[in-house]
Amino acid sequence: MGKKDANVRMSLQTLRVLEVFLENPTEQLAGADVHQRCGIASGTLYPILLRLESAGWFVSQWESIDPSSAGRPRRRLYRLTSAGLRRASEVFASFNRGVLA
Amino acid sequence: MSQRNERSTPPELEDVTHWLIHHAARRAPESLSSRLQEEWFADLESRSSALSRLRFAVGCCWATMVIASDYPRSRVPASSPVAAARGFVTLIDRNFGYFSLRSGTLFLIAGLHAALFFGLIATLSHTRGLAAPQDLQHIVVDPVPPKTLPPQPPWIEVKDWMVRVPKPMITEPRNIEVENDPTTEVVEKSPEPYSPPLPPVTPTRAVQQVAGGPGAGFPETADFYPSVSIHLEEEGFSTVRVCVDKTGRLTSAPTTVKGSGSTRLDEAALKLARAGSGHYRATTEDGQAVNSCYPFGIRFQLKK
Repeated sequence: MGKKDANVRMSLQTLRVLEVFLENPTEQLAGADVHQRCGIASGTLYPILLRLESAGWFVSQWESIDPSSAGRPRRRLYRLTSAGLRRASEVFASFNRGVLA
Repeated sequence: MSQRNERSTPPELEDVTHWLIHHAARRAPESLSSRLQEEWFADLESRSSALSRLRFAVGCCWATMVIASDYPRSRVPASSPVAAARGFVTLIDRNFGYFSLRSGTLFLIAGLHAALFFGLIATLSHTRGLAAPQDLQHIVVDPVPPKTLPPQPPWIEVKDWMVRVPKPMITEPRNIEVENDPTTEVVEKSPEPYSPPLPPVTPTRAVQQVAGGPGAGFPETADFYPSVSIHLEEEGFSTVRVCVDKTGRLTSAPTTVKGSGSTRLDEAALKLARAGSGHYRATTEDGQAVNSCYPFGIRFQLKK
């Protein structure tokens, strides 16, 4: 959405969201899934997801199901991009070295 | 991944939850509004309890505010009817790009406080300058002319003070002849002029003063002549001072003013003076007896 990587603020909640996605970088997760795994409230979770998507770390798409047959609405699924995976890995590597990028 | 659970949410609470999510989605940037609404309703299905669903909906409202402040203003069309209904938060985000939502709120609160402060100051200053009410002005009567006090006498500057003190009149003591005494002779004599302490500065008229002394019934000197002095043929003249009241009684113990040269004779003179209490003549001023102190002499002399 036009924002640069440098504008992503690495708060504790952002790191926890990235950590969830780094467990299986190819997995697509909805906001509800992230909430269940890290417990971040919706008021904080969705702005983080949108920021990371705006920064190019995530891509999102609608779940490819038929809501009528599934009996539930389709969900928005997020996935790490290759750039996002690299940047998130760098952030956690810096974090492990004791210097946060 | 998430299963839809069976819920027993009260209809009213469910309506509130749905209304909050609709409301939050409408306030989001237009390009995200429909997406967020669908996404949030889909994620809402993963919440089972009514309280959890309500918390999720409230969180969506908060998320909308954060997203609106994060979202680039250029992406939001100004003429959008949806955006026009989003209220003050979006208005700040659109028109005051230099301020975040928090900064805008802070400036708004500070501005309101400043306006209240200046309004209060202006009201107070205006109130001080108000004239008295019309009713009060009618109550006020014509001013009373001030009382004219008599003119003060001019101050007299006294450059020099002089108080004339009259000289105290002291009468000469007279001799007392002791008759029928073959051995002794008592002579009332002041050996030296006595100057009583000066009275306070009271310029008064001259007072006719008559000093007191031993009176009728005063003891005989021979009765107090020490036997040892008689044997040694001691003689002398002792001056004692007595203080006497109006009735001729001593008011204090007599004292020796000038000794005779013999301690025995001086002590005998004091004893004689004490024995004479009640037999002194009081000093008179203009004929009136007054308390006074005066000296008198006692002579011890053997008869030749």
